Amino acid sequence: MEDVFNYAPAIALFPLVAFVVALTFGKYMPKKGALAGIIATGGSLALSVLMLVAVASGEVYHETLYQWAIGDAASEIGADGIEFTFGILIDPLAALMLVIVSLIAFLVHIFSLGYMNAEGETGLPRYYASLGLFTFSMLAFVYADNLLMAFMFFELVGLCSYLLIGFWFRTRSAPSAAKKAFLVTRFGDYFFLLGVVAIAATFGTVAFAGDNSFIAAAESAIDNGDTLFGFGAETWVTITALLVLGGVIGKSAQFPLHTWLPDAMEGPTTVSALIHAATMVAAGVYLVARMFGYYALSPTALAIIAFVGGFTALFAATMGVVKDDIKQVLAYSTISQYGYMMLGLGVGGYVAGVFHLMNHAFFKALLFLGAGAVIVLMHHEQDMWKMGGLKDKAPITYYTFLAGALALAGIIPFSGFWSKDEILYDALIIGLEEPIILAAYAMALLAVFFTGFYTFRMVFLTFHGEPRSEAAEDPHDIGWSIKAPLVVLGVLALVAGIANLAPVAKLAQIDITFLEHWLDGEYGAVEGLTYSAYGELLAYETAYIGGEQLTVLIAAGVSLLLAFSGAGLAWKLYSVPEPVAHKERLGGARQTLESNYYQDEYQVWLAEGVTQPLARAADRFDQTVIDGVVNSVSTASLFSSSRLKRIQTGLVTNYAALLVAGFIGLLLVLGYVGGWFL
Amino acid sequence: MALLELPAWTALAPALLLALTAMALFIIDSIAPDSRNSGLLAGTTAAGSIVSLGVAVWYLLAGVGTPTVDGGRGVIDVLGNQFVVDQLALFFMVIVAVVTALVAVASYDYMEDHTYQAEYYSLVLLAATGMSFMAAANSLVTIFIALELASLPSYALVSILKDNRGSVEAGLKYFLIGALSSAIFVYGISLVYGATGHLQLENIAAVIEAGEVASDGGHEIADVGGLLGLGILMLIGGFAFKTASVPFHFWAPEAYEGAPAPISAFLSSASKAAGFVIAFRVFTEAFPVAETASAIGVDWALAFIILAIVTMTLGNFAAATQNNVKRMLAYSSIGHAGYALIGLAGISAGGGELVMGAAMMHLFVYGFMNTGAFLFVALAEYWGVGRTFEDYNGLGRRAPVACFALAIFMFSLAGIPPLGGFWSKYFLFTGALEAGLLVVAAALVINSALSLYYYSRLVKAVWIEEPAVERETLSQPVGLYAAIVVAAVMTLALLPLFGPVADTAVDAATAMLA
Repeated sequence: MEDVFNYAPAIALFPLVAFVVALTFGKYMPKKGALAGIIATGGSLALSVLMLVAVASGEVYHETLYQWAIGDAASEIGADGIEFTFGILIDPLAALMLVIVSLIAFLVHIFSLGYMNAEGETGLPRYYASLGLFTFSMLAFVYADNLLMAFMFFELVGLCSYLLIGFWFRTRSAPSAAKKAFLVTRFGDYFFLLGVVAIAATFGTVAFAGDNSFIAAAESAIDNGDTLFGFGAETWVTITALLVLGGVIGKSAQFPLHTWLPDAMEGPTTVSALIHAATMVAAGVYLVARMFGYYALSPTALAIIAFVGGFTALFAATMGVVKDDIKQVLAYSTISQYGYMMLGLGVGGYVAGVFHLMNHAFFKALLFLGAGAVIVLMHHEQDMWKMGGLKDKAPITYYTFLAGALALAGIIPFSGFWSKDEILYDALIIGLEEPIILAAYAMALLAVFFTGFYTFRMVFLTFHGEPRSEAAEDPHDIGWSIKAPLVVLGVLALVAGIANLAPVAKLAQIDITFLEHWLDGEYGAVEGLTYSAYGELLAYETAYIGGEQLTVLIAAGVSLLLAFSGAGLAWKLYSVPEPVAHKERLGGARQTLESNYYQDEYQVWLAEGVTQPLARAADRFDQTVIDGVVNSVSTASLFSSSRLKRIQTGLVTNYAALLVAGFIGLLLVLGYVGGWFL
Repeated sequence: MALLELPAWTALAPALLLALTAMALFIIDSIAPDSRNSGLLAGTTAAGSIVSLGVAVWYLLAGVGTPTVDGGRGVIDVLGNQFVVDQLALFFMVIVAVVTALVAVASYDYMEDHTYQAEYYSLVLLAATGMSFMAAANSLVTIFIALELASLPSYALVSILKDNRGSVEAGLKYFLIGALSSAIFVYGISLVYGATGHLQLENIAAVIEAGEVASDGGHEIADVGGLLGLGILMLIGGFAFKTASVPFHFWAPEAYEGAPAPISAFLSSASKAAGFVIAFRVFTEAFPVAETASAIGVDWALAFIILAIVTMTLGNFAAATQNNVKRMLAYSSIGHAGYALIGLAGISAGGGELVMGAAMMHLFVYGFMNTGAFLFVALAEYWGVGRTFEDYNGLGRRAPVACFALAIFMFSLAGIPPLGGFWSKYFLFTGALEAGLLVVAAALVINSALSLYYYSRLVKAVWIEEPAVERETLSQPVGLYAAIVVAAVMTLALLPLFGPVADTAVDAATAMLA
C-alpha cells in the first residue's frame, strides 16, 4: 500500500493540468474545458479514495518534496537556520479532507455542465480554468505539510475565489463583490502572514508534524518555561496563534470579517457551492484542525475561538431569517454553520468540529446546488417570493433539497443533527465548568432555533404553496448533469451521520464512533496529530448534569426541541397557499436585521472615515517631505554638476596648475598623516 | 601542450605579436605608400590583435601563471625578471587585445576616407604593444618604457585628424599634461630608487621588508621614509594620469572629445586598463602594505581611498549635465576609473583579493561596454547626426539594432542587473564593505544612482524622444556595426561567462597578494 503515496502529488497536479488545458485549448474543446476538469477531478477523487484506503490500512505519508530556500537566521529558540520546503502530509485528517474536496469538486464540475454550458454562458474556458486552479490550490493546501506552504495555497484559493466571484465582470455588482471578498479576506490574511513569520522566527520551523514541528517546539518551550520575545512562552503561543486565527476568521467568514461572504453570492451558484460553502470557506476551520495541537496549548486562544464561533453562529442565523434571496439565506447559514465548527474546535471537540465540517460540506454543497437547480427552473430568478409550488414540478430537486434542509436544521436522523449535537454536547460539558464557554454554548443553542426557522421558511417559500410568478408555473427543464450530483449529495446528507453516532454509542454503550477512531489514529496516524494526543494538551475540565448519559439526552433533546420549534414556526407562518412576509411583527428589530446589524456600514466608515484620512496624510507626507527631499537632492546634484563642469576651463595652463595643486594637496594630507614633515 | 618546449621569451608573445603586426603594417605601407586599402590595413590589425588575444587566452587556459602546486605552469620570468607573465598580465593582455580588435574593426569604416591610414593602424598597434608590455612589466624601468610606448602613439592618435582643430588641440593638451605627468612619474621612480637602491619590484619589496638597505654602507628605510613616501606618491601620480584619475584627469574630457571616436574608445578602455595593471602590480609587489606603512608612516591605501572617492564623484557629477554625448562618456569614464580604484583602496594587510579581483572584473566588463558606447558615438559621427543628446533623438527608429546595443551598454555602465556591469559593481561594493570602507561603498552607491540619470537620458533620447529633424534612412557600415554588435553580445554573454572571468580575476589577485 505504501507505494500508493508516490502518486499523492498527482492529486493536486491533475486539476493544475486541467487549468492549463482549459486556459490554452478550452476555446476549441467541445465542452469548453469542462471535460478536462471532470476527468482531472475524477482522477483526483479516485486517488484521494486510494489515499483514504491506504491510511485505513495503517499507512501515513509525510515527505518533503522540494526545498526552495534555506536561511541561517537565528530563531528565538530551536534550531539555528530554517528550511522552507514543499512537502506532503497525508494523515487521517488530510485524507478525509482530500476525499471531501475532490468529491465536491468533481460533482460541481458535472453540475456545471447543466448550469453553465447548457445555459449558454460565455467565457467558459475562463470559468473552468479558474475552477481547475482552485481545486489544485485547495487540494495542495489540504495536504501541505508546513505552515508557509499552507499560507501560499491559502492565498491562491483566495485569488481563485476573487476570479470566480467576479466571473460576470460586466455586471456592476460582481466585480465590486469580488473586490470586497478579496480585500476583507486579505485583511485577515495579513495577520496570518504575521503569524507565520512570528512562528518561523520563534521556533525556526514551520512544519506541522514530526519531531521538529513548531507544535512540538512550542510544547517544550512551555514546559521549559522559556521566555520568547519578552513574553512567557504560553502568552507568546497565544499571540501567534491569534495572529494565524486572523486568516481563519477572514477565510471562514467569522465575525467580524464575515461581510464578504453574502456578497460573494454574486458568483455563479456552482462556485458558491464549491468555494463559498463546502471547501474554501472550510480552509480556515481546517487550518485550525490542522494545527490543533498548537491551539490546544493556549486555553485563551481556544476560548476566543469558541466564543467567536458561538457568537457568529447566532449572529448570522438571525440575519438569515429576513433574507428574500435564496442564496443569501444559504450564505448566512454558511456563516452560522462555520460558527458551530469553530465552537466545536474551541471547546476541544476536535472530532465534533471535523465531523461537522464533513457533514456541512455535503449538505451545504447539496443546498447550493439545489438552489442552483431552482434558479435554472426559475429562469434565473432568485427571489423566493416569486417562487412557490415547485414541489410537484421538480420532485428530485425538492426531495434532495429537503434532505439538505433537514440536515442543516439538525433534524434527527439526518447527518447535520449528529455533528451539531456533538458540538453542542462538547460545549455543554465544558461550559458547566467555564462560564464563557457556557455563554458561547447558549448562543449556539439559541441559533438552532433560528436555523430551523430560516431553513424551513426557505423550503416552504420555494417549494410549497401556489406558484407566485409565471416562471414558477412553467419551470425550465433540468438535465441529468444537475440531478445526478443532487442525488449523490442527498444520499450523503442523509447517511453521513453514521460515521460518528456518538450519542447512540454513549447511550447504548456500543462502539460505533468510527470517525473518532479514525482521527484518533486507530488506523494510521502521524505521531502527535491524534485526537487523544490533543486531548492530553487540553486544559479543560468537564462536568455532567447527573451523569454522562443523562447529559447526552438533555443536550440532544433541547437542541432537537429548538430545531423543531423553529421549523414549526416556519411551517405555521409560511406553509400556506399565499404566504406573507410577517416582517412587520419584528418591529424595531426588522430594520437592524435587514441592514445586517450595520456591519457593512461601520466597515465602510472605518475605511472612509479613518483609513482614508490617514492614507491622505501619509500621501501628503510622501508628496511634500519625501519627494521634496528627493527633488532637492537632484536639484543639488545638478547644480553642483554645473559648477563642477566649470573646472574644465579649456586652458591647459590652468590644468597644469590644478594638477600640481591637487597633487600637492594629496601630498600634504599623506605627509601630515605620515609625519613626513617632522 | 607544447608550451614547455617553447623558450621563455615566447611567454611575451601576446605583446610581441602586436608589435610584429605593427611592423607588418610598416612593410605594407612602404610597398604601397599611397594605398588606401583600408580593408587590408584594418584586417591585418584586427587579425594581429585577435591572434594576440588567442595566444593570451591559450596561455591562460594552459595554466601559465597558475601556481605549480595547483597543476599550473607557474609564473614565467623574462629578461632576468624585468618582465613576468602571470595571470594578472595575461588577464590584462586579453583586455587590451580585445579592445584593439574591436577598435580596428570599427575604424575600417570610420577612417575610410582618411589619408594616413597605415600610420593610424600602426600607431594603434604600437600603443597596444606598449599597453600589453605594461601588463607584464616588472621593474620600474620597463614599466616606464612600456608606459611611454603606450603614451607617445596615443598623443599622435588623438590629433590624427589633422584638419580638425579640436583634434589637434586635444592632442597637444594631452601631450602637455602627459609630459608633466611623466616627469612626475619618472621623478618618483628616481626617489624610490634613491630610497631603496632597486628598480626591480621584488627587490624593492625585499628592501622594504628588511627595513634597511644593505649595500653601499646602508641605511635604515625608516630614515628615508618621507623620501620613499614622496616617491610612492609620485608613482601614484603617474598611474593616475594613465587611468585618468583626479587630479591627473584634465586631459581626458578634451582628448576623448577631440580624438576620433574609436581612439576615444581605445584610450578610455585599453589604456585605462593598462594603467591599472601596473598600479596593481607595483603596489601589490613592490610596496607590501604593512611594511611600507611602517616605513613611511602612512598606509598608501589611504591615497587610493581619497582618489577613488574624489574621482568617482567628480566624474559622475560632471557627467550629469553634459550636453555633448562624447563628453558625457568621457566623464563617465573618469567615474569608472574611480570605481576601479576601489580595488587598490581595499587592499590591506589582511587581504583584499576579492576587492582587487572585483576591480579587474570591472575593467574587463568595462572593456566591452565602454568600447561599445564610444563606438556608437563613432557610428553617430559616421552618420553625421551631430554631437548633443538632442541630435541623437529618435535614432532608435532608424537604427534599432545599434540603439538596442546602446541601451545595453548604458544600462550595463549604470550597473543595472542582470547585466555584466551590475555584477562587477556589486562585487566592488561587497568587497569595499568587507574591507571596511563604508564611505567608499556609500560613494559607489550614490554615484551609481546618479550615473543612472545621465545614462538613461541617452537611452531616452534615442528611444523615446521625437527626432528634431526628419532623417533619411541611415547607412549601416559593416565594420562599425560588427564591432558594436560583438561588444553588445559580449556584454550580455558575460552573464553566463562571469563565473570563469571572476575566478580568473580573483585567482590573479590572490596570486599577487600572496
